[in-house]
Amino acid sequence: MMRDLGTGKENTWCTGCGNFGILNAVKKAIGELVENGSKLSDFAITCGIGCHGKIFDYLALSGIYGLHGRGTATAQGMKLANPALKVISFGGDGDSLGEGLEHTLFAAKRNMDITLILHNNGNYGLTTGQFSPLSEPGYKGLSTPLGSIEKPFRAIPLLLEAGASFVARGFSARPDHLTELIIAALNHKGFSFIEVMQPCVSYNNNYAYLNQKVKLLEVIPTTQAHAIDLASDPDHVYLGVFSRKNLPVYHELLYGSANPQKDRPDYLHRQDILHAK
Amino acid sequence: MAIRTVIIGGKAGEGVKKAAQVVANTLFRQGWQVFQADDYQSLIKGGHNFSSVSFSDSEVHTAYAKANLLISFDQRSYTAHSEDMADADSLHVYNSDMTPEAVQEARGKTLGLPLSTMMKQIYGPGGNVSLAAVSVFFLWMGYPQAELEAVIAREFKRNVEDNISYAKAVYQAARQAGIGGSQIPDSEFPLISMEQSVQRFTSGNQAMALGAWLGGLDFYYAYPMTPASSILHYLALKTTTHKVYAIHAESELAAANMAIGSVVSGARTAIGSSGGGFALMQEAFSLAGITEAPLLCFLASRPGPATGVSTYTAQEDLPFALNQGHGEFARIVAAPDSPQRAFSLAAELLSLAWEFQCPVILLSDKHLSESSQNLTLPDEVPWARVEQGVPGSSYQRYSITESGVSPLLFPGSENIDDNTVIKWNSHEHLPSGLRTDKAEAMIAMKDKRNRKSPAISIATQRHERVAFYGEQGTPVFAYGSGVMELREARKHCSKPFIIVALIYLTPFPSEELSVYSGKEIITLEHSSTGNLDRFIRQNLDVSIKHSVLRYDGRPFDPLELAKIMEDIL
Repeated sequence: MMRDLGTGKENTWCTGCGNFGILNAVKKAIGELVENGSKLSDFAITCGIGCHGKIFDYLALSGIYGLHGRGTATAQGMKLANPALKVISFGGDGDSLGEGLEHTLFAAKRNMDITLILHNNGNYGLTTGQFSPLSEPGYKGLSTPLGSIEKPFRAIPLLLEAGASFVARGFSARPDHLTELIIAALNHKGFSFIEVMQPCVSYNNNYAYLNQKVKLLEVIPTTQAHAIDLASDPDHVYLGVFSRKNLPVYHELLYGSANPQKDRPDYLHRQDILHAK
Repeated sequence: MAIRTVIIGGKAGEGVKKAAQVVANTLFRQGWQVFQADDYQSLIKGGHNFSSVSFSDSEVHTAYAKANLLISFDQRSYTAHSEDMADADSLHVYNSDMTPEAVQEARGKTLGLPLSTMMKQIYGPGGNVSLAAVSVFFLWMGYPQAELEAVIAREFKRNVEDNISYAKAVYQAARQAGIGGSQIPDSEFPLISMEQSVQRFTSGNQAMALGAWLGGLDFYYAYPMTPASSILHYLALKTTTHKVYAIHAESELAAANMAIGSVVSGARTAIGSSGGGFALMQEAFSLAGITEAPLLCFLASRPGPATGVSTYTAQEDLPFALNQGHGEFARIVAAPDSPQRAFSLAAELLSLAWEFQCPVILLSDKHLSESSQNLTLPDEVPWARVEQGVPGSSYQRYSITESGVSPLLFPGSENIDDNTVIKWNSHEHLPSGLRTDKAEAMIAMKDKRNRKSPAISIATQRHERVAFYGEQGTPVFAYGSGVMELREARKHCSKPFIIVALIYLTPFPSEELSVYSGKEIITLEHSSTGNLDRFIRQNLDVSIKHSVLRYDGRPFDPLELAKIMEDIL
């Protein structure tokens, strides 16, 4: 039996926080993948800074607790140096679509074979509820006391346009569905992105709203335009896979089937290369 | 033997640098000691670029401003360099088509050749005027036309037939005009067999990239910024042969954070930029500090602040390099005093980074990074080794040790079992790598990291931390390309001085420098406020008699510097 994925560290998320649903789904997904033959030691995780990042401390998996916004950059470096790793980058909406937007888009552009799980709670929870790049207009927080005057990004259309080859949306209160999405994302070869709708009970408690609006996608939309329409539907928050494509992955285009960690030339080999004609 | 200099000038886009490279490489293959410096502007077409190639039978440490052979492609170059003839025997060949106002030079000989007309006759539209410089150089050196043709065919791959015709036509025209019969003692072509040699002709950037790779470098992440870009370009070219991966990231922030990700996976990794880009890497530099990530950082300076002057040289970033990142953590900062040193120093620093699990900075400047010189490959360089931990459930990434160094393991590597958890953390952390804000835990982890510093100081003493050039006279402290300028100037200075070249800056090489305590010294640096002065005074009880400061982006001409030194010594 697989060992416990918990660390025993005191959990400091608020009672009812959507992050619990994500943590449990991740544990369950990895458990199922290991049961089906994946090596637990091949999983590696990273994250940015924010409430989402605490998941790093609650998961007994190797990796690095990164800088705010930079988790997905760090994840790419981890993957490139050892392509055998299954790298999961956890990001918040402020983290992955604000401070670190460039890394999110470029990871998708490169079809880097990693998974980004976006904890979308629609605000900056840990820093006491300021508006985020995904907050709706009118959102009132400490930095926008009169209400946000910006329009939000739509994460899924953004990621589709950037070239993500697997794009899905889950809901922290639908843990079984979310688990399935995470398994599919980790099995996908290429950049996989899951936007997880995650209520913030302290600053953006949208449980009721989400429960009312969520609707499961029945099939994967056949065109990108249709996927974007569904992802932006004002009346429904569609859950499921919006796009799944088999496309060449960055590390294989860079070095084929080599593994730089295992195949690195040793000192004598380097001397030979240096003095070769 | 005298030192000779060839200067080629023209517009950006005319192939000035390429022609100078071919000239420099030809001299190098002939067995000469060569130094090539390129003066260029941040533009693609037009403006004025020139490249200087100085050579001798003994080491040349920097380029000279006065030329024995000057080749100008246009009026602007002709005028800009009309005072730059070394002596009465010097020759200025210019493109008479593009130089309506040619005048007899104050000294030396001039020869106008219709380089554009000849080009049109052979190529029709297009053509490559830079070949003319190579032809004139070959004739001036007394090298045979057959060798010129071979070099042109090898170095200029597009339109080879027309290139050879044009090169031959210029060679013949210049011969008819009476050039040739060089005064320079010469031997048969080629003098040395490159295949069996341990000599290379490389820029400082190429040397540090290659040295780091020989010492174990696997990955390089960067965003282009002059004068660091050619590290990226060079390593990218070596992907297939050297199994080194150079990634042009979306920004410096991406580069630095990707690099630390690769370190977590066990790759020997480097990043590089100039001041502005390096500033963007600062937070990740601190990340390397707290996570104890061995990370090699190349910082190639240019005049600042901000965008500054993109393509010229400066040493303004000394305090920036020494104080890189926020927070307290151990680091090593060192500056090579030549492209040759850059090769070995890069390997030394990578190895030290992995031994002590800390970020290290190799500080250079445009003149050192982008100028090229003969490089003798050293027999050995240090190899970046890993102190391996023991896999299993009791493994802790930040285990508290007496040395402060916690053994490493890498996720997904072959010896890792399912119970091994390797957690790096940007927060202050427990030995397990889990986050903490507990007072005692903070103290324990800071103390662990700080314990590395004394050992780092001792370990760096394995290497030459200070180089001394000269036996007697006033000590002149410098670092980076300042040392190169002083070494060349010393050849022409009637008064003796000792160059004290600071290579390791942090930790400060107190042991080597204690002999200067209480003494008078001179300093030289490319800064307007005396960064080096302040740095030395903080660390050493000396009286600074004179500071030679230059901050116009240009390197010193050795003859000019020799005069300055004579005045102040």
